[in-house]
This record gives sequence, C-alpha cells and structure tokens, in this order.
Amino acid sequence: MAGHEDKMVRVRDVMSRQVFTVSPTDTAQSVARLMAETGVGAVPVETPGVGTILGIVTDRDIVTSVVARGLSSSTAVFEFMTVAAESCEEDDSLLLAAQKMHDLRIRRLVVVNGKRHAAGIVALADISRVNPELGGLVLEGINRPAPVDTQLEGMSTC
Amino acid sequence: MLTQDRLWSEAVILEAGENRVLRVQSTRDAFLCLKNHWPIADGDAKRNAFAACERVIDGDDEPDVARAAFIKAAEEAQFSVHSWTG
Repeated sequence: MAGHEDKMVRVRDVMSRQVFTVSPTDTAQSVARLMAETGVGAVPVETPGVGTILGIVTDRDIVTSVVARGLSSSTAVFEFMTVAAESCEEDDSLLLAAQKMHDLRIRRLVVVNGKRHAAGIVALADISRVNPELGGLVLEGINRPAPVDTQLEGMSTC
Repeated sequence: MLTQDRLWSEAVILEAGENRVLRVQSTRDAFLCLKNHWPIADGDAKRNAFAACERVIDGDDEPDVARAAFIKAAEEAQFSVHSWTG
C-alpha cells in the first residue's frame, strides 16, 4: 500500500496530540458544546479519574443516535457512544494504522499509551497529509460496498 | 485548558423560556456555556464564575466552587435554576 520510505513513518509523527476527552456521564449537549468550541468531530470517552479509554463519540453519533431518534439532548454519552473504540499505539507504523482504518471502514483511531490512556488521535486526514496515495487507498476501502452479512439459504462460503 | 475537565457532584439545569434547557454538570462545560451560550455579555457573577472555572480546571479549587459560582451567574442572567443542593 505504500512505498518503502513510508514504512518508517509512525503514528506519533502525524497524530494530533491535543485530545479532548469526555466522561460517560456527560450529555450529548455538553459534548456538542465542546465540539463546537474546539472544532473536533470525535472525542474519546474515558473513565473519570482513571483515564482508561472506554469508547468514542462522534458528531455523527449525536446526529444519528440522539437527534434523529428524538432522544433528549440530556442523553448521557454512555447511551450512544461506540464502546471499545478502535485504537492504535504511537509506535505503530502509519501503514498499520491505515490498514486498520481500511479494514474497519473508519476515519479515526484513538492513540493509546501503555495504560490505555489517550495519547492522541490519528485521522484519515493526517495520513492523507503526509501520504496522499495511502490516504486515497484507505478512503477507497472505507467507501467500498459493505459485505452482505446474512448468507443466503443454501449457499456455502466456499 | 479545555483538554481538562472536573465533574460536579450534581448537575445544574437552567431553563430560559419554554424551549431552552441547559444541563451542566462539569466545570469545562460551565466555562463553555458562560463563554458561548450566555444571554448577557458581562456581569459581576459571570466574571466570578469564569474565574472560578479557571481555578478549578487548573486544579487550584474544588469543582463545586465553580458550580456554586455558576449558579450565581445563572441567577444574574435570569435563568430559571434547578438544582437539588443550590
């Protein structure tokens, strides 16, 4: 997926180190206020006082899981967050992070340290900035047709 | 500064008219409400609440100090304040 020189690029080289985390008991409206102020579209959810990452909330989650369903803006984060956010580590290669985004069809990974505390966020845009070709391949993967989960009766997998 | 937050012991619910409800339960969120979503531009209680939020976020005061100051600022701004502990 990438040239030889890209193998040396690590997640830590491109990730955003400024991480705005929220608590599971924060509300949709408080997360929206934080996103409006900071301009970020995804925030990791951490255990208060411990710092372990439990999941992630995106602006899209607020729109599709709270607003669209008619839930109150006071709905707590734990009710609509994505549990166990996909993550990577600072020392991971950019290629590995890109592969994960490609395979999981996601645009962001939480970067965690050894204690599973948030050390940063790496987004598809960060990858595209340093390697547009790799970013394009990830985007293609994200946009590929979803696999059909339900197997038709009478068909085998091989 | 906004990367840090300190949770309150209890939420404060502010109502303005029939269609606007702000539920605030942390110091950072209170700071953002005061900064971006407040109906009055200036006021003694608002300034005090800002200062209290900054102290708390910096770890120089307890979270409920910011909460108490925020309630005063909400009263100054003529919000209807709902809170069990005042």
